Amino acid sequence: MRRYVIKRLLSLVGTLLGVSVLIFLMVHLIPGDPATQILGQFATPEAISQMRAKLGLDQPLWQQYMRFVGNLFAGDLGTSLFTGEKVWDQIMNRFPITMQLAILSVIIAAIFGILLGTIAAVKQNTFVDRLVVLTSLLGISAPGFWIALFLIWIFAYKLALFPISGYEGVHSLLLPAITLGMAEAGMIARMTRSSMLEVIKQDYMRTAEAKGAALFRIIVSHGLPNAIIPVVTMLGLQFGSLMAGAVVVETVFSLQGIGSMAIEAISKRDMPTIQGMVFFMALIFALTNLIVDLIYSRIDPRIHFD
Amino acid sequence: MKIHKWKQGALSVFVATALIAGCSSQPSNQAGNDTSAKGNTLVIASLTDPDSLDMHKTSWLSMENSLIYEPLLTRDATGKLHPGLAEKYEISKDGKVWTFILRKDVRYHSGDPMTAASVKDSFDRLLAISPVKGLAGPIEKVEAADEYTLKVHFSQPFAPFVNVIVGGLVSPLDAKKAKELGDGFSDNPSATGPIIFDKRERGASLTYKKNPDYNWGPEYAANKGPLQFDSMMFRLMKDDDTRLMEFKKGTVHVLYDAPPNSVAELETLPGVNIEKVMDVGNKYIAFNNKHPLFSDVRLRKAVALSVDRDPLVQVALNGFGKPVYGPLAPTIYGYSEAIESKAKQLYTRDLGKAKQLLAEAGWTDRNGDGIVDKDGKPLSVEMLVSQEPAFQRAVQILQSQLKEAGIDMKISVQEMTTIKDRISKKSYDMALMYYGWFDADILYLIFEKSNSTSRTHYTNPELDVLLNKGRLEMNEQARLKIYEDAQEILLNDLPWVPLWVSETVVATRGVKGFTVNPYTQGITLHDVTLEK
Repeated sequence: MRRYVIKRLLSLVGTLLGVSVLIFLMVHLIPGDPATQILGQFATPEAISQMRAKLGLDQPLWQQYMRFVGNLFAGDLGTSLFTGEKVWDQIMNRFPITMQLAILSVIIAAIFGILLGTIAAVKQNTFVDRLVVLTSLLGISAPGFWIALFLIWIFAYKLALFPISGYEGVHSLLLPAITLGMAEAGMIARMTRSSMLEVIKQDYMRTAEAKGAALFRIIVSHGLPNAIIPVVTMLGLQFGSLMAGAVVVETVFSLQGIGSMAIEAISKRDMPTIQGMVFFMALIFALTNLIVDLIYSRIDPRIHFD
Repeated sequence: MKIHKWKQGALSVFVATALIAGCSSQPSNQAGNDTSAKGNTLVIASLTDPDSLDMHKTSWLSMENSLIYEPLLTRDATGKLHPGLAEKYEISKDGKVWTFILRKDVRYHSGDPMTAASVKDSFDRLLAISPVKGLAGPIEKVEAADEYTLKVHFSQPFAPFVNVIVGGLVSPLDAKKAKELGDGFSDNPSATGPIIFDKRERGASLTYKKNPDYNWGPEYAANKGPLQFDSMMFRLMKDDDTRLMEFKKGTVHVLYDAPPNSVAELETLPGVNIEKVMDVGNKYIAFNNKHPLFSDVRLRKAVALSVDRDPLVQVALNGFGKPVYGPLAPTIYGYSEAIESKAKQLYTRDLGKAKQLLAEAGWTDRNGDGIVDKDGKPLSVEMLVSQEPAFQRAVQILQSQLKEAGIDMKISVQEMTTIKDRISKKSYDMALMYYGWFDADILYLIFEKSNSTSRTHYTNPELDVLLNKGRLEMNEQARLKIYEDAQEILLNDLPWVPLWVSETVVATRGVKGFTVNPYTQGITLHDVTLEK
């Protein structure tokens, strides 16, 4: 197990190195001079060339890359060109909201998804089943901003239960989390349903039934633990993408998380911030995957890591 | 035991993530509980989070970061010049020395008095660090002649300076505090304005409180003392629907840049005021004047004559704008009605004339497909345009208008940074562009040979002479005449096609006396009162 973790961590370094090349090229291949963008349309040529020198844009590409990677692995994500703040500090400032949002969304997605999926599987081919399949399809396919505006309109504007936008504490994250969680819940429900249908056919389920155990007990203590394995992987993957994909929701709800920060940074060509954020998200994504894999082995003892 | 293990595993993920979230600097006071329009706080829904509150470092002064600074001279809502922090000013005969007599009762937010020496320090700082110091003109040195007399020496006369002042670029800031705080000044600025910086939650809100010692309001304001509300907050909201709902719910007083398609609905709400403020700049089609096609003035004119500006304004802008035919918007110093009406006469849509000009240049529709051609090649051009919704709508209308004249225009949507980059590299045919500035000197900044590479690649020695002369001419009448002549050249040569001047729509509710000055683009806060 320990060897496995070490091996995974080493491969993580390799992955991150690859990511660093991609980020670097991505930012440098977009047309447009960041120096001009930063200083505005009336900047003096002298100021622009000074800024280019400050950004290292006057150096050869490989030198810029080496410096970038050197700083990255020394833990320095650079300084934002626009705010003058350290990128790391900015991320840490914004990260908590996105993190809370992602956790809340995953909880919502897990609760509703697993519950609905299980019910649909148990009631296979009935009206309830079809209803769940249809709702989950709606959840998956409805655009996030639409769901967001719908929820705001009902719960914040008409019923005034929540603030429309902005962060006033964890309760302001509920509507955004439902928005994000709904699509995920749909997917989880479908996955739980099919996985559960497999499990229900297994011998041990029939044995439990034959022993006269109640349906609820059979499903919860025998069915779910086995059906849940692929769902956990899914949840883990979703958690990573939720963190990165909160862009629309954060914009609609005016939340100062990582997503809205990314939008600002990209529109302003704030290279260090874009690079730092993508790198950070890649790291979070990779770590989440690692954690999910480790959890995997705890749920299913048949899985061993060597 | 499996379930137990599963619970443990899942729990550990959540505990771990919650811990990470908890350990990092928790934004506990983010916008706090005061995000709604409660108490005596003026709340403005805002679109931009300014990069810096330090005027010498920001890439653009917006209402969010300009209100703490006050200009030496100002204009009222009709465009008339008034004293600001300077009681009066005088320009030397040779036009090279501007002398300002400063008010004696002004204090910075730090409590220090504003003196000529401190304003000189502010100027020196601007000249040392501002990336846009070029706009302030060829300043040689700034001198504090006595405690309240400031002299700005130029290496040559610089007539646009008065509008540089009005625009706020050289407004005094507290240079002593700036020196003390270094980079920290960006997040804790000090100047002389009626509001004082309070706190900032980057990406969420920006709060100012009123300056209780303020007593130097402008001549044209009824209230010259402290503001009549305790604080003001800019709440950053990017999504139009969200902003609209916040406004309708009453959690913000001022909806700046109200989405044009929602104005009709807003007007039906009780207590809502709608104000329209004209911009200090135009939207225009920039030709690549070095392009084989557009180096021919007949083609440029044919494009101009194909354009009907009214549907652009009515449809693309929902009516919130004015068509312009001449180079300058009515809010810019140097605007001439004579020029505008001449331009309108010359370039009101005339498809017959447009086709005739194309035919003179050798472009006629030989194969009957509706598109003019020459040597077997159809006249096909590309128009660069940014993602801005109004631009997107406008460019589609332009496309169909040009097609009626036989020009096939392809739309290429790009980011503004990319567009500017392609323009500077001359790799474009046409682009939908904009400018904004407070003085006719904008023509120098766009067309003079030292600047034209960043816009239209148009060079004309005769125009250069006029644009340089316009900077030097201190006599107002003579100066306006020079710009009329320069604009005549632009009408005849047409290196661009001016299209419209936008109007910003400001919706207010629960607030009285809120005005935006079209000549300075600033908010006047002095007479604002909140309804209880």
